[in-house]
Order: sequence, then C-alpha cells, then structure tokens
Amino acid sequence: MTQAEPRPVRKILIVGGGTAGWITAGVLASRYPRRGEEGISVTLVESTQQPPIGVGEGTWPTIRATLKQIGVTETDFLRECDASFKQGSQFVKWVDGSDGDAYYHPFTLPTGYEERNLAPYWLEDPRGQSFAAGMCFQTEVCSRALAPKQITTPEFTGLANYAYHLDAGKFGPFLRKHCIDKLGVRHLYDEIVRVESKDSGDISHVVTKGGEVLAADLYIDCSGFSSLLIGKHFGVPFLSKKDALFIDKAWAVQIPYPTDDAAIASATVATAQSSGWVWDIGLTTRRGVGYVFSSSYQSDEGALEELKSYLSVRGDLSRDLSFRKIDINSGYRQEFWIRNCVAVGLSAGFLEPLEASAIVMIELSAKSIANLLPSCLDGMRQAARLFNDTFRYRWERIVDFLKLHYVLSQRTDSRFWIDNRARESIPDSLRECLEYWRDHCPWHEDFPHREEVFSAASYQYILYGMGFQTYPAPWLLSDRDRNLAREKMNEAAQYAKTLAAGLPGNRDLLSKVRRYGLQKI
Amino acid sequence: MVNRVVLNNQIHRDVRIAATRPTRENAEVNAVSVIPREFPRLLAHYPIFFTKNMETGRFEPSALLGFQPQENLFFVDGRWDAAYVPLQIQRQPFSLIARRAEDSEGKPPSLDVALDLNQTVQSQEGERLFLEDGQPTKLLQGITSMLSVLVAGTKEAYAFTGRLAELSLIEPVQIDIEFVDGSDTKLQGLYWIAAAALKALPAAQLAELRDREFLEWMYFQMASVAHVSALVARKNRLLSGVTAARPGENRK
Repeated sequence: MTQAEPRPVRKILIVGGGTAGWITAGVLASRYPRRGEEGISVTLVESTQQPPIGVGEGTWPTIRATLKQIGVTETDFLRECDASFKQGSQFVKWVDGSDGDAYYHPFTLPTGYEERNLAPYWLEDPRGQSFAAGMCFQTEVCSRALAPKQITTPEFTGLANYAYHLDAGKFGPFLRKHCIDKLGVRHLYDEIVRVESKDSGDISHVVTKGGEVLAADLYIDCSGFSSLLIGKHFGVPFLSKKDALFIDKAWAVQIPYPTDDAAIASATVATAQSSGWVWDIGLTTRRGVGYVFSSSYQSDEGALEELKSYLSVRGDLSRDLSFRKIDINSGYRQEFWIRNCVAVGLSAGFLEPLEASAIVMIELSAKSIANLLPSCLDGMRQAARLFNDTFRYRWERIVDFLKLHYVLSQRTDSRFWIDNRARESIPDSLRECLEYWRDHCPWHEDFPHREEVFSAASYQYILYGMGFQTYPAPWLLSDRDRNLAREKMNEAAQYAKTLAAGLPGNRDLLSKVRRYGLQKI
Repeated sequence: MVNRVVLNNQIHRDVRIAATRPTRENAEVNAVSVIPREFPRLLAHYPIFFTKNMETGRFEPSALLGFQPQENLFFVDGRWDAAYVPLQIQRQPFSLIARRAEDSEGKPPSLDVALDLNQTVQSQEGERLFLEDGQPTKLLQGITSMLSVLVAGTKEAYAFTGRLAELSLIEPVQIDIEFVDGSDTKLQGLYWIAAAALKALPAAQLAELRDREFLEWMYFQMASVAHVSALVARKNRLLSGVTAARPGENRK
C-alpha cells in the first residue's frame, strides 16, 4: 500500500479587497511572514467593479490589537483613515422615548469587574446614578467628548478603553498599501469569472476575466454581498434573522462639520426612531449619519422624513446633502467554512449595524483562520468543523445581544417597538437568559466560550441602562462585597474627576496627532 | 501667569534686570529641557533623561533636578548650587516669540526677544538692557545669542530624539529610590537609551548616528545617569538636616 504524500497548505487566495479582505490578508501575512518558497503565500484578487459598501464605520477595542498585529502605526492609521476615538455607544430614546432618555454602553469594564460581580450592589443602592455613570468612569469622559488618552500616551494604549470610528472607504486602501509594501501580499485587480472544482468538491482553481488561473490550497471569500464562493459556487444556504431583527433598510448621509474645530463625539450615538434608529458617527472630517429601519413598518419616504427631522433638530439639514439608500439582509450562512473555502465579512453574514459587530467579526474570523490553519490538506475538515461551531455560536450570540436592546424597550409609540417584544420574535436562548437574569446579574459563567463577542459586562450595561430589574436573593449578597462595591464606586467617581480635568478633547488630541504623531512607547 | 511683551528699545529703555538669577519662580522645577550642545557641560552635574513634552508628546532631553514636583535640589537657599546652569533656566525671563505673520509671507517667521513682565526680575540696582542711545547692552546681546542657540539646539534635539524613537533606541525606565528617612519614590515618565537595542543596531545605522553626532550625545546621556545617586545624596542631606556649608558663609 502506498501512502500519498501529505499536501501542505501554503497558498492562500483571498477573493475581494474590502475591509474583510485586507484585514484577513494583513492578519495572515503578519502572522506567517513570507519565507520564499518555504512559507505561506497570500494573494488577494479584487475587482475594480465592486465599490466597497462602506458600512461598519464603528469598531471594537479588539481593533487596536489587530492593527498592532498587522504592523501599522496608530498615527498613520488615524491620519490616513480620518479615524477618531470611539469609547462606546450612547443610546438615546431607547427606554421610553421621553426627553432625557439616554444611557451609555462604555468600552471600559464596570468598576471592580476583575474581582467580583458588583452589579447587585449598584441595584441595591444606585446612589442616584445610572449604572454606566455609577459603575464606570468612562461615562463622564464620553459625555464631555474627551479623548481616551493624552498626546504623551503611547500608541494603541489608553487611559480609558477605546476603539475607533473610521472611514471604511479609506481603511481598505490604507491596509492594502501596507500589506503589499510591508507584508509581501501579492495583489491583482481582476474579476473572477469561473470557479473550477476537483472531484472531491474542493476548489481547484479560479479563472479571472484577465485570463489568469489562480490556484490555492485555501480560498477565503471576502467578496461581500455577492458571496462568490460560499454562496454562488458552494450554494451554502443563508439563514435570515429577520424574524428577530426587523431592520432591513437604511438611509445614509454624510454631514460636514460646521467649523474645523467642532467637537467630535467620543461615542456612537444611536437615537431610536419610530421604526428603527439613527446612527451618528463622528470622523475627523465629517459625520456619518444614517437611519436603519424596517420596511414592514415604515416607507422609504417616511423614513427619509424622519432622518431629515433628526438632522434639522441640530441644524444639520441643508439642500446639498445626498441621501443614499442601502438594503440590509440580516442573517448569516449555515456554514462559513466548507471544504477548502472560508467566508469572512459580508459574504459570511451581516446583522444590522447596532453595536458595530461587522468589523469585530472580521477580526475574529481572520484570527481564527490564522490559529486553525492546518499544515496539510488533511486537516482542513477538522479546521472547518471547529470554525463553523465557533462562528455559528458567535452569530447566534450577536443576534441575542442586538435583540436585547429592542426587547427591553418600553416604547409603545409604534408597532415596530411593540412587535419587537412579541414572544415569538425573541430567540429561545435570549428568553432563557432574561428569565435567569431576573434574579442573577449577568456574569462570566453565563457566557461559556473563551472569546465572547459580547461579555457579561456588555449585557450588564444594556440591561441596567434599559432599566431592567434583577432581584438577587438576599442570602447571596455579602457585606464584604457591599463594601467593595462602595469602595470601587468611589474610586470610579474619583478617577472620572481626574480624567475630566486631565484629558484633552477628542478633537484637540486628533489635531495634535495629525501634527506631532503619537510615540510608540 | 505669563505676560510676555516684545522688547522695544524705547519702551524698555530704562528696564533693569536683577543681577542674581535665576529667581525662585524660574528655578522651582524638578526637570528642565536641555539641548545636546550643552550635554558636555551638563555631564559634570546632572542626570540627563528623555521626557515627553506635555503639549506634543515628542521626546526631549531633560536634566533631572529633583524627585517631587517643584523640587529643585540644585537650588539651595536662593542660589544655584552647581557651576553650570542649564540654558533654559539661564535665559529666564527672556524668550523668543514669532513676529506677526503679516510681514513674513510664507518665509519662516522672524523672531523677537520677549520679556515676561510678570516675573520679579526688574530691579532698581539691576543691569540695563539698553544703552542711552537705544543700542542693546552686553547683557542683552548675550541673552539674544543664548536664545538663538536654544532655538537651533531645540531643533537639533527633536531631530535627535525623533530619529532615536524611529530606531526604537529610546525605552522607558522606572527608577525606585529609597531615601535615608525610609520614604521612597518611583520616578516615572523618564526614558533613556535602550542599550540592548543600541548594541544590536546594524552597522549602517550606527554609522549614520555617528555622522550626525547622535552617537556621542547618546553616550553623554548614558553616562549622565550616574548622577542620579548624587541627586539622591543631595536629597538625603536635606532630609537629615545637614546642609553643605559653603566657604565664607555663616550659618545660624
């Protein structure tokens, strides 16, 4: 009996050059630096026909580690992608729609979180403060539009946890340049016209319009909504999540700043409307604003009127604005990795932009592929199984977490909000958690995976920001933890004061970075 | 508060500057920014580190003068207790400010000598800045040239630290110090030459540093760190109530 020589996995072809394609290329090529014929080679082919979608201008703090891994500097990134610092989200009018109805979901963990679950003690005695304000110093920083760091703070580190708002149209090209110049990623502009299979069902090669035959051991589908490989070629079914997440359309617009020194908000502002919500994201050069809504509850024209009225309240409405319509199809593939092909980004799935899950899922996917990358083709099956299990779990959890924002609302002003609370629209997993959280504050054990997209901290911020009540059994509380909570809340308040006095404005710092740059150390 | 005005030989013709400088208000700092050209003279007394400029985040060489905010262990009984005073201290209360842009049209703005009127430096017995005919005195000439040395030197300093940062030749250092009375302090926000990175530096870059005089300056910095213990000794003398008696001075 002869044994076939194991076929090594060395050549990776990425199809598509948006944010997903270039983050994946950057993560893989930096993780496995090119070593001539011996190492991994990464090739990226992108079409000049497909303009980038440009959604997902918000990120999670994971992006800092990802950028560092890829090897770009924070200074270059901030300057070239018109990026600003994002320290969380602010939800306006989600609870009941009244004036003054607003709460924060900051990126910094609640005070004392490393030691103990102190949420029960805030519930017991909130000391007149919202959960986010009482339990996290960052709320104060956000409400003053301050930066998360000073000009003397080294690159990629902060005094408060942070991510970025970025111009997705500039982010891809920024990473492209770095990947090609510094990481040795091979790049071509061309279009895939044919995908050829082996008998096994694996992709053997793809043929481009320009006549190139590109063969690889692993194909990564970053082709966006067109889903060239995972959808068109393999026909992996798309699981719609419209039953739970009603949003299916958006109006988007870019708003210039009134002056060059106008303040830049430190958080994404999400303001609830009759049939969805408006995102408001401040970059250095402009704001990105858009209304995501459900077409079952609001017409295109009606939604546009609502968006215009949002803008006019702040005096941002003018004649020369151009509004762009976007379709959103919330859901994800039944499988993400099939045979020798794995989907990353919009080809794998997309959920509405609430809580900015798109880019973080790309980062997690790229990292998982880098970790799971089998050395030989034989290992592909197992890698695919593990990847699919993990990512199915992650998408499900994101659906739960996004739905949580709607389920807890007490708004009664439209069917959209009322129907969002209908039992049949709530995933079982979320319903079970909500019942459990009636007498338990969310904690690590409730989320058993190693790298959860949204941790117990995020659930605490949303639940208690939305006014959810948990009634822990008195015998599960202790004086020791009660004292710790008091101490930690005092610390947080003190630190909030220190930072409020010592941090520059978001705009101030970004202008300084433009001028002087940030130090690496 | 600073109240800087551009010197003018009419308005300021009779201004006299106190002969004994620096004054307390200039001297009560625990670090002062220095320029590479004065490293050889600084090396006799001061530990030199790199610190980050609070406004720009850029590295600049600084002489360490004390361990607590406003503690200057070189400023004893109202006098500077070292043979060489860093230029940034010497120049006080004078500075250079850019002339209004309107008459410079794209050219780098020319600089005017300015005086901080809020500093208590004017005095009846002091030295004059201008002669009767409006010409600058020796004192003012000296100050003007010192200020231009500082401007050129600051540019050089940033070229120096900028290149070192690019080459990852600067690293943070934390120094833990215990004083005679048992109190201790952690010096933070200080950076120095990353000796290991310097050793590993490729020959071409080493040659570049040598040719630009940077290498020499780096060794001055490294050697100056030995003065930290002398600085600690100064503090210990204060703490134990022993003041170094100066010759010819009567202590009560």
